[in-house]
Amino acid sequence: MLEILLYGAVTSAIYALLAVGFTLIFGVARILNLAHGSFYALGAYATYVLSSTLHLPLALAAPLAVLCVAGFGVLLERVLVRPLRGSQIGVLMITLAASLVVEQVLLITFGSEYRNVPSFIDGKVAIGHVDIGGQRLLTLGVAVVALGALLLLIHRTRFGAAILAVSQDPEAAQYLGIPADRVFAQVMGLSAGLAALAAVLAAPFLTVQPGMGLLPMVKAFAIVIVGGLGSIPGSILGALLLGYSETIVAYLVSTSWTELVSLVAVLFTLVLRPAGLFGKRAAF
Amino acid sequence: MAAYRHVLSALIPALALVAGALLPSAASAQTGPIRIGVPTPLQLQVGRDTIDAVDMAIREINAHGGVLGRKLEMVVADETENPETGINAIKKLTADEKVDVLIGGYTSGVTLAQIPHIQRAKTIYLGIGAASPAVTRGVRTDYENGKYIFRAFPLNSQHQARALAEFINGVVKGELGYSRVAIIGENAKWVQDLVPLLRKGATDLGMEVKLAEFFDTQTSDFSPLLSKVKDSGAQFLVVILSHASSDVFVKQWYDARFPMLIGGIDVKSMDADFYQRVDGKAQGEIAANLGVRAPLTPKTIPFWDAFVKKTGRAGPVYSAFGAYSAVMLYAEAVGRAKTTAAESVIKELEKTDHVGVVGRLQFDENHDIKAGPGFINLFFAQWQDKGERVVVWPKEQRTGKVVLPAWIKK
Repeated sequence: MLEILLYGAVTSAIYALLAVGFTLIFGVARILNLAHGSFYALGAYATYVLSSTLHLPLALAAPLAVLCVAGFGVLLERVLVRPLRGSQIGVLMITLAASLVVEQVLLITFGSEYRNVPSFIDGKVAIGHVDIGGQRLLTLGVAVVALGALLLLIHRTRFGAAILAVSQDPEAAQYLGIPADRVFAQVMGLSAGLAALAAVLAAPFLTVQPGMGLLPMVKAFAIVIVGGLGSIPGSILGALLLGYSETIVAYLVSTSWTELVSLVAVLFTLVLRPAGLFGKRAAF
Repeated sequence: MAAYRHVLSALIPALALVAGALLPSAASAQTGPIRIGVPTPLQLQVGRDTIDAVDMAIREINAHGGVLGRKLEMVVADETENPETGINAIKKLTADEKVDVLIGGYTSGVTLAQIPHIQRAKTIYLGIGAASPAVTRGVRTDYENGKYIFRAFPLNSQHQARALAEFINGVVKGELGYSRVAIIGENAKWVQDLVPLLRKGATDLGMEVKLAEFFDTQTSDFSPLLSKVKDSGAQFLVVILSHASSDVFVKQWYDARFPMLIGGIDVKSMDADFYQRVDGKAQGEIAANLGVRAPLTPKTIPFWDAFVKKTGRAGPVYSAFGAYSAVMLYAEAVGRAKTTAAESVIKELEKTDHVGVVGRLQFDENHDIKAGPGFINLFFAQWQDKGERVVVWPKEQRTGKVVLPAWIKK
């Protein structure tokens, strides 16, 4: 039982970091960003390159990797997404294309083998009768702090106020002197940075290979559908629901059934409550 | 109508001439280079090692004048791990490239999908990657169509299950004195074939199988499964995986210091750089290997060293042993048959008695490689301190004893 509680919390924390970024950019710019999984993959590979190839200390490599991916997010928005933002289908296609390009570039550069991203903490921690890797606990802690900081950023700062304003009505915000385009780019960067942070934390104990972005992307999508597109609290709740459901299924039924959980959750949500749990438009 | 007939009668000889020029005649097919088609997943180490090993064998044979006075040449096609792409690779090699023989393979699911196309093309296939017994089943059930298929490597999963049971008996039960095991394996065809046999084998040995479970090949979090194994009270965890992430599996076992020894068939842990790749977290894992740098035959060490010199990599993975030997034994069969005609070469391949790089190679009545002492066998090696790979089973090849990781009590 304690195992489910602990491991479920770690899984939920990773999912929440991924889903919140995904929902954030949708809530603000109405962009369904199919390249979100690429941010996750790039975060892991950037850490790998900086720490294992360039031999930077992990404490420096990790934040650098997050910054690089955030920069890539901004670039993606400026160069590829912005010209097509008027068309939902156009944005879907261009972000899908970007994600495929990223995967192929990773494949050509690094091959399909699994890569090792070093852990911040090597030892294990015993909580009750449960042994858990220190890196997992660190992931949980950092994710909680990061999400808390994000909520503070949105609700307590001028930048947050600008995000809220643009998410409610970009044109009206523009008339009030808020540079909507710049906010879109910054939010894309923030969203990419959160996905990269998830990768930096989870890559030491999860998979690092070129196709690693797809599954988190699917999970983030599922969580956002369950939680309600554009809602941050909905995404956090969705992440908890999915993270714990998967862990419970893995423990009590079989690990081979876990991937089905998110799909079933999406199906039920779409049939019973298509707007999701917190499904109001742009409801931060 | 008459004019139409007139045009047609003029066209037919012209078409025949063009066809004659385009299609190689039987005579020219027997004089040009002997073409070896290599369908293999290029993005994976097994694929790259296959190509390097085939290339090594071809260079050696050509340096000695080739076969029947003809040089050998290699044509590669990427079969990936996707059956559809695998079928296209076979079509490309047989229909477009018109190869004389196919040497390759990795994923059983892909190989099984390719087989009908290989048989239709009436081209000899020497599998060196896939382990499912179903690959050579057609030889027994429908010899006329199935005879083109041989498995030159690795051991099929039935033989692997038997070798694993012997290891459990000799080391897990005999030396470590354990009585409780758990078996987990990836949900793939060759493992589905292997696990029931292994479970029965372990039970027959008097071992208590506390848990037997499959996991998805895409699994990235093994912690729930490892926790279940721990809770089951198993002292040794037999793991069987090839396509799933061995790296993640051992890291998660090590990170939480799960209190059971792990071992079994973990294909990616056969890589010479596996220990470094996972930051030393494989220490203690006992994995089956199909070849080690030891004098298994007079050819083992020279091949290993030449491979390392050629590729600059730490050592070959299993497909390299099979690929190199398969080219050699095919060349010998063609030499004996004095032709590359499939029917004649098959007859000679069936008589194969070849000392390969990791053992003696003979085919059984199913065109499957023979297993056991004197033939091809599994070697169980443990990753020990500083990434040293120590052979702990079978006894004849042993280079050291099992060492338990610090957090595991006997």
